[in-house]
Amino acid sequence: MTSIILLSVFGIINLFLGFLKSNKILLPAVIIFLAIVFGVNFLDWNNPQSHFNNMLTIDNFAVAFSAVMVLSLALILPFSRSYINSGNPHLAEFYSILMFSLVGAIMMVSYENIIMLFLGIEILSIAMYVMAGSHKKELRSNEAALKYLLMGSFATGILLFGFALIYGASGSFNIAEIASFSSNTTATDLLPMMEIGVLLVLVGICFKIGAAPFHFWTPDVYEGTPTLFTTYMSTVVKTAGIAAFYKLVWAVFPGLNEFWYPTLVAITVLTLVIGNIGAAIQTSFKRMMAYSSIAHAGYLLIALTSFNDYSENAVLFYALSYTVATVAAFGVLKLVSDQREGETYEMFNGLGRTNPLLAFAMTVAMCSLASIPLTGGFFAKFFIFGSAIEAGAVWLVVVAILMSAVSIYYYFRVVMAMYMKEPVGEKVAVDGFAAFMLIFLSIFTFIMGIFPGWFNNWL
Amino acid sequence: MEQAIYTPYDYLPIIVQFLAAAGFVAFAMGVTHLIGPKRHSKVKDEAWECGIPTVGNARTPISYKYFMTAILFVIFDIEIIFMYPWAVNFKVLGTEGFLQMITFMGLLMAGFVYVIKKGILKWE
Repeated sequence: MTSIILLSVFGIINLFLGFLKSNKILLPAVIIFLAIVFGVNFLDWNNPQSHFNNMLTIDNFAVAFSAVMVLSLALILPFSRSYINSGNPHLAEFYSILMFSLVGAIMMVSYENIIMLFLGIEILSIAMYVMAGSHKKELRSNEAALKYLLMGSFATGILLFGFALIYGASGSFNIAEIASFSSNTTATDLLPMMEIGVLLVLVGICFKIGAAPFHFWTPDVYEGTPTLFTTYMSTVVKTAGIAAFYKLVWAVFPGLNEFWYPTLVAITVLTLVIGNIGAAIQTSFKRMMAYSSIAHAGYLLIALTSFNDYSENAVLFYALSYTVATVAAFGVLKLVSDQREGETYEMFNGLGRTNPLLAFAMTVAMCSLASIPLTGGFFAKFFIFGSAIEAGAVWLVVVAILMSAVSIYYYFRVVMAMYMKEPVGEKVAVDGFAAFMLIFLSIFTFIMGIFPGWFNNWL
Repeated sequence: MEQAIYTPYDYLPIIVQFLAAAGFVAFAMGVTHLIGPKRHSKVKDEAWECGIPTVGNARTPISYKYFMTAILFVIFDIEIIFMYPWAVNFKVLGTEGFLQMITFMGLLMAGFVYVIKKGILKWE
C-alpha cells in the first residue's frame, strides 16, 4: 500500500527532476527511489491488511510479487545509458511512466475487487502503449504502438465485458463474494452467464500475458518496441499478468474449476508448442525472445493448472529467475544492437572474442532460460513440474519437457554464434554500471541455481 | 446471497425500443427518398461549408496548440467537478475532507506546473 503511494509521489518528483539542466541525476535518483520502495514494500510482510473498503488487500502474495516487479525495474534501468548519453529530452518522462505503470502492476497483484484488477491492467497497459511508441521518429516503434493499442484495447473491452457478466450473475465485484457465488452454483440458473463471463475474462488476461492463441501481437510489438521497454514488457508485465491470473482462477473462480480447467490446459499446451516452435524458426534474436516469452508464459500457466502447496512458490521462483535471465539477455542485446546495426543472430558473431563479459552474461542467461542445471532456470522448471506432477498432470509435464528440449536449439544458436563464428565488428563499448549489472545478474542466476531453497519458501 | 428472478420477458421493452428506433430510421429514410423531389446541380452537390466556397481537404494537420489548450482546460474542468460537491458538504467532511482536497489540488497543481514548465503555452 505504502509502496503504491510512494511510487506515485516519486514518479511526480522525478518528472520535476527532469527540468534540471543535467539529466545525469535521473538514473541514480530513480534507482534510489526504487530501493526505498523495495524496502518499504517489505514492511507489510506477514502483516495482511485491507484498504479502501476492501478494494486492495496486501498479503504476502502481493508483497512478494511486488518485490519481484520493483526489483525488475531496478535491474532494467541501468541499461538506459544510451538515452542519457544522447541527451534524450524525454528521459524523465520515460522513467516516470515506468514508475507509474509499476503502480498498476502492484494493483494487479493485490486486488480484492475485480474493478481494481481492471484498473491495474489499464494503468499498466496504457503506459506500455506509450512506451512502445516512445521512439517517435522510428517507423517500427510507431507500428508497434499502433498494433499494441488497437489489439490491447480490444482485449480490454473483452475483459471488461467478462467482468460485467460476472457482476450480472454474482451481483458483486468483490472476489470473496464472487468465489462464494461460484462455489454454490446449483442454486441459481445464472450459471451460463457466469461461465461466459469467466471465458471472456480468460481471453482478456491470456491476451495480456501473451498466451496462445492470443499471442499474435507479441512478436511484432516486442520487435518494434525499443529494447529497454521490451525488457519491461516481457518481465514486469508478464509477472503481473501471471500473478493476477493465478489469483483470479484460484481465489475468484475456484468453484468453477471443472468448467475452466480444460480450457486452461488447452491454452497451456498451445502456448508451449506455438511459443517454442515459433521461436525455433526466427532469424531475429529479438523476435526469438518474443516467442521465448510466449513459451515461458506457457510454463507459468502449468503452475496455474496445478493448484497445490507448491504452485504459488513455483510461480514466484519462476518469475524471479525468468526476470533475471531475460533482463540480462535483453541488456546484452541493447548494448550490442546500439553499436552494431540490426537484431539478427549474426550480430552476435564472435562476441566471445571481442567482449568476453557480454558473451559470458548472455551465455548464463541463455542457459537459465533453457534450464541447464546450476542456473536459476533449472530449478524454476523443476518446481513448476514438481507441482504439476503433484497435481497428477504427468502428460502435461511430458509435453513441457519435450518443448524444453526444442528451446535448447534456439537458445544455443546465439551462444554458438558468439563463440564459434568470426567477429563481425569492433569491440562493443560497455559502461561501468551496465557491466556491473550484468555481473550481478549472472551471479544472481547462479545463486538461484545453487541455493534454490533461499527463494522457494516465502509464501 | 439472494438472487432476483429474471426472465427473458423482462427484456421485451428493450427489444421494442430497438425495433422502434431502427424502424423509425428505415421509415424516415424510405419516405424522404420516395416523396422528396430530386434536383441535382453542380452547386447543390457540393459540400456545404457555412455558405462560403469549400476550401481544400478536411484532413489537414491541425496545430497541436489547440489540443494542448483543450487538455489544459480539462485539468480545470475536473478540478471544478470535484470541488462543487466538496464545497456543498464542506462542514460534514470536516478536516479530513479538507486535507483530501488539499492533496487532490496539490497533485493537480503539480501537473499544471509541469505542463507550464514544459512550455506548452510558448507558441512561437
